[in-house]
Amino acid sequence: MAQRTALPLRDRIGSITSGTLAWIYAALLVVPFYYFIVSSFKTNEEIFESPLALPTTFDFTNFTTAIQQADLGLAVANSALTTIAALVLTLLLALPASFALARARGRAGRVVESVFALGFLIPSFAALFPTFLLAAALGLFHTRTFVVFLLPATALPLSIVILTSFMRTIPRELEEAASMDGASSLQVLRQVYLPICVPGIATVLLLNYLAFWNAYLYPLILIGPDTAQRTIQVALPTLKVDAGTDYGVLMAGTLFTLLPVYLVYTLLQRQMQRALLSGAVKG
Amino acid sequence: MTHGISRRTLLGAALSGGIITPLLASCGALVPASSGAHTLSVHTQISGAVAGAQTFSDVVAAYQRDTARRVALLKNGSDLPIVFETSTLAGKEADVAIVNMMGRTLAWTRLGATVPVQDFLDDWGLRDLIIPGALTEWTDEDGRLRAFPFTRTNWPVSFNTALLEEAGVGEIPTTSDELIAAAEALRAKGIGPVTVGGSDWSGQKMFLQIIQGFITEAEARTVFSTGRISESPGAIAGVEHFVELRDAGVFVDNVQGYTSDSELTQFNTRKAAIVPAMSSALALVPAERAAEVTVGGWPRPSSGGVLEHPSVIQSYNGHGIWISENGMKKLDLIKPFVQHLYSPEVTDRFILESGRDMSRITDTLSTDFPLVAQASRLRDSEVSAVMLPDLLIPEAVFEPMIQATALAYGTASAERIIDAFEKSYQAA
Repeated sequence: MAQRTALPLRDRIGSITSGTLAWIYAALLVVPFYYFIVSSFKTNEEIFESPLALPTTFDFTNFTTAIQQADLGLAVANSALTTIAALVLTLLLALPASFALARARGRAGRVVESVFALGFLIPSFAALFPTFLLAAALGLFHTRTFVVFLLPATALPLSIVILTSFMRTIPRELEEAASMDGASSLQVLRQVYLPICVPGIATVLLLNYLAFWNAYLYPLILIGPDTAQRTIQVALPTLKVDAGTDYGVLMAGTLFTLLPVYLVYTLLQRQMQRALLSGAVKG
Repeated sequence: MTHGISRRTLLGAALSGGIITPLLASCGALVPASSGAHTLSVHTQISGAVAGAQTFSDVVAAYQRDTARRVALLKNGSDLPIVFETSTLAGKEADVAIVNMMGRTLAWTRLGATVPVQDFLDDWGLRDLIIPGALTEWTDEDGRLRAFPFTRTNWPVSFNTALLEEAGVGEIPTTSDELIAAAEALRAKGIGPVTVGGSDWSGQKMFLQIIQGFITEAEARTVFSTGRISESPGAIAGVEHFVELRDAGVFVDNVQGYTSDSELTQFNTRKAAIVPAMSSALALVPAERAAEVTVGGWPRPSSGGVLEHPSVIQSYNGHGIWISENGMKKLDLIKPFVQHLYSPEVTDRFILESGRDMSRITDTLSTDFPLVAQASRLRDSEVSAVMLPDLLIPEAVFEPMIQATALAYGTASAERIIDAFEKSYQAA
C-alpha cells in the first residue's frame, strides 16, 4: 500500500487557509440563496421574526400570487423570446467576425479588433438617450424588435474578444489541412473552428444570457409597459409597493425569474469551466 | 453510406421545438395590446401588488365585456413617470395615465405632457361626484386641474389597545405628555412604543407631521416649499418637540434603521404598540391584529402648538386619472371609461374589495378592512387634519430630505437637524 507523503508545514497551513477561505466564500453565496428560498415560503411576519428559520409549510401560494399579480408568465415568455433571439443574433455576428480577426495577420485586423475593444469604453447609461432617439426614429420604439437588435450590439465587444482569443489557440495547420482538402472559408469555420470552440461559445452564451435576461433599464424604456411585451425584469418591480410589500411574494417572484438562469447555467457551466481551464493552461 | 438524421440534429430539433412551440402558442398574448386606433391605452400604477390592482383589472375586464370597447392596460410601479415621459418624447404615450401627483408628475400639465381636465368635469358630469377638496388639491397655481382625483390617502395613527392595556394604559394618548407616559409604560413591559420607518419616507412624513403641530397651514406652506425652518419660530419649536419626544423614548429602539415595511411588521407582530400608517397599509393589517386596534391621530403637543386635536395627515393625493396629448384624439373612448370609473358600483368595489379611500363622494364604508373604515369615520371633532407636504417639496429635495430626517431619528440635536434639513434644500 502506498504511503502518503506528509505535506510540509507551510503547504499544510496554505491548504487549510485556502480551504477555510473557500468554505467561507461558499457560505457567503449559500446563505443569501438559502434566505431567498425559505423566505419565498413565508409571510412577512415570519421573514422579519426569524429570517433564517425553515418555513412552517412549503405552500406555493406566494409563487402563484407573484405570477398572477405581476403577469410573470407572459413576462418570462417575453424575456425568453428577446434573450434567445438576441443570443442567436450575437453568435451569428460574433463568430464570423472573430474567425476573420483570428485569421488576420495584417495591421487592418488589429485595428478592427481595437475598434471592437473600444466598445468597452461606452458606459451603457450614457448611450440610453441616443439609443432612445434611434428607436423612435426607426419606428421601433416600444417593440421587442429594437431590443433584440440592440442587445447584441452591446454584447459584441466582449463576445468578439473572447471568441477571437479562443480561435487564436487553434493550430493553423488544421485550417491549412482542411483548405488543402478543398474546404471553403465557411466550411473551415463550421467544421474546424466551431467544434473546437464549443467551450468558448458556451462562455459567450452564458455571459450574454445573464446580461440579456437581467437587463432592466433598456427594456423598461425601449420595450415599455405593455404586459404583452414587457420583460421579466420590468414586471418584477410591480410586486414592490410603497407600504406593506409582501416580501414572501416578492422573493417567490424573484426566485421564479431565477429558475431559467439556473437552468441555463447548469447546462452551460461545464463548457464554460472547460473554456476557462483551457485558457489557464494555454494562457 | 447512410445519411440518416444524426442524434445531435434530432436533439437540437427537439430542443428548438420545445422552446419555440410554447412561444408561438402564446403569440396571441404577446401581440402589443395597446396598438390600434380603437383601443384605449391606460398606463396605470394600480397594478402588481398595489392595493386595488386586482379590482382595477376586474373592473376594466368587465367594462370591456359589457361595452365591447377595447382597453389596453399598461402597467408600471414607481417607474411609471419616467416610462410615461420617454413615451411622450417619442409621441407614443398612453392615452390615459393613472398615477399619483408627486415629484415628476407635478410638472406634467405645465409642460404639456398631459392636458388640463377642468373643462371635462362639467361636460362629463363629474364635478358633483368628486369631493370638492380633492379638486382643489389637484388644481395647480394657474387654475388647471391636473387630473381627475381618483383615490386618496388618509394617514392616521393606529394604537394597539390590547398592548396599551397590558402596559396599564387605559386610553389612547391624545397629548404628548400622555404619549411619553404611555411609551414609558410600554417600555417597562418590554413592548416597543411608536414604530416608524426612520430611514425612509414614512419617517419623513412623521417628522413633518410633528412639526405641523406648531405651525399654521400657511406657515407650513412656506417652510416646506423653502426649507427655511430657522426662519420660523413655530417650525423650530416643532423640531425641538420632535427631539423631546425622541429623547423621551417615544420611538422604538433603532428606529433610525427601520423602513415603512419593517414598521408595519413590527406592529403586526405586536413588537410595537403604535404606528402611523396610510390607509392602503391599514388594509394589510391582519384581521386578528385589527381587532385590537383603535385608529386615531398623533398626540398634539401638551403645551404650545396650534392644533386643537391629535393630528392626521389627510390628502387627496392618491392616484389621479391624467389625459395625455394622444388621449385628446380619443376623447370619445376616454369619456365613457372615466365616467364608468366614477360610477357608484366601481367606487364601492374599490372600497369593499380592496379597502381604498376614494375621491368620489360616497357613503360606503369598508367592511372587510375595519381599520380603513375607522380612519374614514374620524371626524373634525376628534382629529385635526394636517397636510401631506409632498406637493410643496421640490422633487430634487425628496431624497436629501429623507437623509436629514433619518438623522433626526438618531441622536442629532435640534440645531443639527435643522441645519441638515435646510442643507437638503440648498444642495438640491
